[in-house]
Amino acid sequence: MSEEPLIGVYICHCGGNISDTVNVEMVKEAASLFRGVKVAQTYEYLCSNPGQDMIKKGIREHRLNRVVVASCSPRMHLDTFRQAVKSAGLNPYLLDMVNIREHCSWVHDEKESATAKAIALIRGAVERARYLEPLEPKSIPVEKKILVIGGGVAGIYASIELADKGYQVYLIEKRPSIGGHMAQLSKTFPTFDCSACILTPKMVYASQNPNIKIVTNAEPLNIRGSPGNYKVTVKIRPRFVDEDKCTACSECTKCCPVKKPSEFEENLIEEKAIYIPFQQAVPNAYVIDKDYCLYFTKGVCRLCERFCKGKAIIFDQKEENMELNVGAIIVCTGYEQLNLKKFGQYSFGLHPDIVSNLQFERLMLQSVHRPSNGKTPRKVAFILCVGSRSNSSNGMEYCCKIGCMNAIKQALLLEKAVPDAEPWIFYTDIRAHGKGYEEFYASARNHGVKFVRGRAAEVMPNGDEVLVKAEDTLFGMQIEEAFDLVVLSPALIPNQGTLELAEMLGIDLGSDGFFLERHHKLRGVETKREGIFIAGCAQGPKDVRETTMESMATASKVATFIGKGEISVSPEVAYVTSEKCNACGICIDYCPTKAIEEAQNEVAINSISCIGCGICVPICPREAIDLNHCTDSQLIAQIRGVCEGETTSPKIIAFLERTTAYGSADLGGQNRRSYPANIRIIGVPTTGRLGIKHLLHAFAAGADGIIFIEGDDSAFSEEQLRNHVIELKKRLHTFNIESLRLVSTTTTLPQYEKMLDLFETFTERISRIGSLPKERRDEIRGKLGGL
Amino acid sequence: MEVISAHTIAPHLVNPLFTKEVMEMRGGEKILDCIQCGVCSGSCPARFAMDYTPMQIIRMVQLGLKETALASSTIWICASCYACTTRCPRDINITVLMSSLKNLALREGISTKIETKPKFHRSFAEVVRKYGRIHEPELITKLMKKTDPEALFHNAALGLRLWRKGKIRLLPSKIKQRNHLLAIFEKASKEEI
Repeated sequence: MSEEPLIGVYICHCGGNISDTVNVEMVKEAASLFRGVKVAQTYEYLCSNPGQDMIKKGIREHRLNRVVVASCSPRMHLDTFRQAVKSAGLNPYLLDMVNIREHCSWVHDEKESATAKAIALIRGAVERARYLEPLEPKSIPVEKKILVIGGGVAGIYASIELADKGYQVYLIEKRPSIGGHMAQLSKTFPTFDCSACILTPKMVYASQNPNIKIVTNAEPLNIRGSPGNYKVTVKIRPRFVDEDKCTACSECTKCCPVKKPSEFEENLIEEKAIYIPFQQAVPNAYVIDKDYCLYFTKGVCRLCERFCKGKAIIFDQKEENMELNVGAIIVCTGYEQLNLKKFGQYSFGLHPDIVSNLQFERLMLQSVHRPSNGKTPRKVAFILCVGSRSNSSNGMEYCCKIGCMNAIKQALLLEKAVPDAEPWIFYTDIRAHGKGYEEFYASARNHGVKFVRGRAAEVMPNGDEVLVKAEDTLFGMQIEEAFDLVVLSPALIPNQGTLELAEMLGIDLGSDGFFLERHHKLRGVETKREGIFIAGCAQGPKDVRETTMESMATASKVATFIGKGEISVSPEVAYVTSEKCNACGICIDYCPTKAIEEAQNEVAINSISCIGCGICVPICPREAIDLNHCTDSQLIAQIRGVCEGETTSPKIIAFLERTTAYGSADLGGQNRRSYPANIRIIGVPTTGRLGIKHLLHAFAAGADGIIFIEGDDSAFSEEQLRNHVIELKKRLHTFNIESLRLVSTTTTLPQYEKMLDLFETFTERISRIGSLPKERRDEIRGKLGGL
Repeated sequence: MEVISAHTIAPHLVNPLFTKEVMEMRGGEKILDCIQCGVCSGSCPARFAMDYTPMQIIRMVQLGLKETALASSTIWICASCYACTTRCPRDINITVLMSSLKNLALREGISTKIETKPKFHRSFAEVVRKYGRIHEPELITKLMKKTDPEALFHNAALGLRLWRKGKIRLLPSKIKQRNHLLAIFEKASKEEI
C-alpha cells in the first residue's frame, strides 16, 4: 500500500433503531482510536442527503482515502453510500459497510454487549479498509450474433423472433431437415390445427430470412470463450448432395436400389438410401444415408449420380468444421421418447399392432390402418403413463404433460376417420391444465370415447388381435378386452447427448435429466451460465403452445442480453499471480463456471465468466490465486479485527455466504429475533472462499468457535461444503483444535429460524467445551508465521 | 365388507398409527407413494378370489383401516407371484407387504374370513421344521385335526389311492444336518420374515 490510509468512520443512529440499543457515542470514541482512523462521527440518518453530505464533506476536508459506514445491512444501502463516496471523488470500492442494525441492535437487547459487538465489527471493517484497493468494473463488447442449437419448433421460433429484431442467427440441426417432432404430428390439440400447415410456413420463412443461417447435419463440437463472446466449433456431417444444386426432383430416389426404414415415419415404412426426410423438408434437398448406400457399404452403384440432372451428388464430400463467434447460445435440443421395449408387460415390438403414440400420428397421416394387415382399426386402446410418474428404475418420476391431451386428440381423430370406431383410453389421472383442455376432455366424453381409470397392467398379442388387461379402479373389476390396435404413450426424456452438451456448455441438468433453468419461477429461460439460454422441451416436457411461448420469451431475454452491445462485469473476480502458478490445474475442476483455463505455464481466469465465488482461492496449493475485494490480506485483517480486543466469551465467528445466508440473517433482524451477542457475522462470497489459514487466524486472534453458513442456491454446493468442512476439521485436528469448534449448514432465505437456533445451540456447545487456552492460541500464532 | 356396505368410513375403524406401523415393516416403506393407478390389481392372477383388490389394501393402509385390511382374504390369497411388484410404477414391494400384513394379522390375533389359510401355513411350517422337507400325510392330518377332524375319514380312501400310485409315502424322510435348518427357523422367527 503506497499511501498512508486515512480512514473516516461514520456511525448511523438510524433514528433510534441503532442508537436505542448501541451506545453510538461510545462506539465513536472507540473507533476514533483505531489505527489509521482520521475522523469518527455519528449522525441521525446517514442515508439521508445531509448524512451523505457529511461523508462527502469529510472526504474533502480530511482528505480521507477510506470510508467505513456503520449502519444497516449492505444489502440495503451499499449502492447509496458507494454513489456518495464516488461523487466525492473516491473510488467506490474504498468503502466498507458494517451492519450494526440487522446483525446487532435489532437482535440484541443488552446495551453493553451490543455496544461491544458493534465496536468489534467496526474494528474489523477498519482493519479491512486499510487493505482496500480501488477497482473499476469492466465493460466488454458483445458479439451481436446468436447460436441456436436444435431446429425443432422451439429453435425455429426463437430464431425467427431474433432475426426479426435484426440479429444474425445461426440455427444448427443435427438431422438433415429442421422441423423436429412437430413436423411429424398430424393435428395439434385442442384446436385440431394441422401441424404441418402451421409449422412449415415458419420453416420456409426461417430459411428465406437473410438474418438466419440454417446449418443441418450439424452439431456443436466444442465451446470456448465467455458470455458475450463465445467461440463455437460446429461439426457438419456430409450430406453427399449439394443443397444448392438439388432441385428435389426425386430422380435419384427412383433409381436407388437400397431400402431402409424411415426415421421420420417412425420406422413404419421404408424409404431409399438417398431420401428426403419429408415433402416439406428445409432445406428441400436429398441426403444419402451412408450406412445403407451401396457405394459406401460395397463400393459399387453410384446410380443416383448418373441420373441426377443437376449434378448435385458429391460422393467425396467430407466432414467439415465451422467456426462461429456468437454472443449468446440458445439450447433447444428437445426430447425423445423412452424406449418402450423396457416395459416387457406391454409387448412392444412383439406385434405390429402395438405402436407408440408418435407412430400413430404417422399412421393417421398415411390414412389410418393396422400395420399388421393394412385394414382399418375399429377398436383402439390408448395406454397412458408408460414409464411416466414412476419411481421404479425403468421409469421417469415426472409427468409427460402431453400424453393425456394427445390421446384424447388421437381418439377424436380416429372417430372422425372411422365412423364406427371405438376408442378406449386407459388413464391414471387425466391432466387437462391448459386453456381449452378441460373442455376438450369433456367433448371426448360426449363423443363416446371410453375412459377407463386404471393404468394398463398387461398387453398381450393374441393372434390377429391384441389383448389389454387392466383394473377399472373406479368399479373395482378387472377388464380384459381385445383390440385392433394398441397405442402406448411413452415418457418423454431428454434428447440423446444432453449430458455431453451440458458439460460442453458448463450448465447444469436437473434431477430429471433436462437442462436446469437459473430460477424455477423468475429466471425460467436462463441457465447458470450468463449468455446461455434454453427454450422448449430441452428444459422439460411441454406442448407446442408452451414451447412457442417460451421460445419467444427466450428470444426476448437474449435480445436484452445482447442488445446493450456491451456487458458490464463486476471487478470482484479472482486473479492469478503468474510467478506463483505452476499450472497444476487443480483449480480448473473446482470452478463452477468453467472460468479457469489452462494457458502457457499457468492458468488464466476469465474475468467475464468468473462469478467471484472464491472457491478456487484456498484450493490453490501455491497461493497463486486471490480474489479482488475479498483478498486474503483484507479478509485476514477483518477476521483479526473482529476477534481481537474485548473479552466476550465464548467468541464465535459466523461466516455467511453473502447473498442468501447473509440475507437470511438480515431477515432474522427485521423480525427482531434475538440471539447471543457473542456471534459475530462476516459476509463472504461463499464459504468455499475460506481455507485453514483463515480459521487459524480467527482462533489465534481470540475466536472460540466458527460457523459456516451457505445459501442453498450457492455456486458452492451442499456436498462441496460438506467435503470442505470435513477436510478443514481434519486440518484443525493437526493444530490441536477440537473439530467440534467448527460447524456448517446451508439455508434458504426464509429459514432464518434454523440458522438462529444453530447460533444458540452452538454457543451452548462452545460454552461447554470452554474457551481456547491462551497457550494454544500462542502456539497457533507461532505456526501461522510458517504458513 | 363393513366399510363398503356402510358407504362411509366409520371413525372407529380408523387407526392412524396403522400407517406408520406398516411403513416400518418390510414392503411397507413406500406405501405413501401409491397413486392408486391400479396396475397391481390389474396384474393379479388371484384377484377373482379376493374380497378386496391389492390396490384397495394399500389404500386401507394409507387410511389407517387396520382391522379391515388385516381381516381381508386378500393378504392370505396372495400367491406371491410378484406380478404386481415387478410392474408397480411407484416401486412398492406389494408381495412382501402382503407377507408382512399376514404376520401382523397373526400377531394381533385378527381372524380372517378364510380360517384354513393361516392354519395351513402353520401346519406346513411345523412339518418342514420336523423333517426338513414336506410329508403330505402328516400335513393333511395336522391341518384336518385343526379344521375338520371328520374330513380325515372322508379322505382316507383318497390317501390310500395316492399311496398305491406312489404319489405319497407313508413314512417321512428326514434331511441330514437338520440343525442348520433349525438355525434358519430360529432366525426367521426373530426377524418375522
